[in-house]
Amino acid sequence: MPSLKSEIRTIVVEAAIVVIAGLGVGLAANELSPRGLALSRNYFPGGTNQAPAAPRPVQAVPGPAGTNEASQAAQISARLRGKGLQELKRSQVETLFHDPRSRDGRIVFVDARNPDDYQEGHVPGAYELDPYHPEKELGTVLPICQAAEEVVVYCTGGDCEDSDTAAILLQDCGVPGQKVFVYGGGFPAWKAARLPVETGARNSGIHSQ
Amino acid sequence: MTTNQTTWKRKAFEAAAVLARWALGAFFIYMGLKKAMHPEEFLKLTRQYDMVHNSFLLNSIAAVLPWFETFCGALLLLGIAVRGTALTLVAELVPFTWLVWRRALVLQALRAIPFCAVKFDCGCGAGEVHICNKLAENIIQILAACWLLTGVGRAFCARHTLFSVKSGKV
Repeated sequence: MPSLKSEIRTIVVEAAIVVIAGLGVGLAANELSPRGLALSRNYFPGGTNQAPAAPRPVQAVPGPAGTNEASQAAQISARLRGKGLQELKRSQVETLFHDPRSRDGRIVFVDARNPDDYQEGHVPGAYELDPYHPEKELGTVLPICQAAEEVVVYCTGGDCEDSDTAAILLQDCGVPGQKVFVYGGGFPAWKAARLPVETGARNSGIHSQ
Repeated sequence: MTTNQTTWKRKAFEAAAVLARWALGAFFIYMGLKKAMHPEEFLKLTRQYDMVHNSFLLNSIAAVLPWFETFCGALLLLGIAVRGTALTLVAELVPFTWLVWRRALVLQALRAIPFCAVKFDCGCGAGEVHICNKLAENIIQILAACWLLTGVGRAFCARHTLFSVKSGKV
């Protein structure tokens, strides 16, 4: 009968082997996976890798009407300022959307949400740009943004920073910072305002509103 | 108690242990693969815990952990290095449960709601969950892993122990 001490030692050695093998498998799988992360890349540029100070509220905190929205809007503005990004409010985005320049590519909308969300609905004519896998669309989107006069990037609003990441990515790739804007409210605010929504691929012509 | 009753009880106990091993293994494979399919989402959720501020370390955790969990789940399901895997899972689950609990306390304070009403995506692979359900689930997993650590659930194992311990030497 093995002693308790040797039993414990066996289990610990076994666990160490499992950990080493597991780490090896994890690294190899990440490397081989088409969705794998680039370990050396900073996915949250323009700030630290710390999480946003205030998490997205799921349930409203009791208080005067509008307090929550106002404080969230202030947090978004502060976050964007901290990253040196310019913010657009819904009315400004709406004006740009209806501006004739948006029809000839001088005003460009960039959707930084994930592909599934994009397919479900996006700002009509918006280009898809997944900031975590930019190799997929950057080749197409970058020249269009460079040629545009104004670029509006959005994601899901609130504490979603994918639009920030995409905006910084575009700037890093040579799009002048003064023409890149982030729509802080994001797609939920756009949809809530009952503005046009296009589903499926870009310029599919299928509008849900 | 008759010998037959004792044998029957022992068999039921062993069967329960095998089922616990399979259930724990299947759960980790499912959750691991769900996270591995969307590593960028897991990266964002990992970031919310403020564990590390170095991008390389953060990316490494988010890239490796889902596959690591899948690997551990597969080992349990196949019955390979069961006790070592169980110890690894306990070592992962205990600090993670503490992190989730701590995060829930912060959210509770921010939202001024009862603790069990706190609901958020903890990065566990199941989307938004109520914290009390999540904590109960984690405690059950920790207990199941601790049970496997005692050496039960040896039936249908490809290689329950990597080393044979005969003379007290590994």
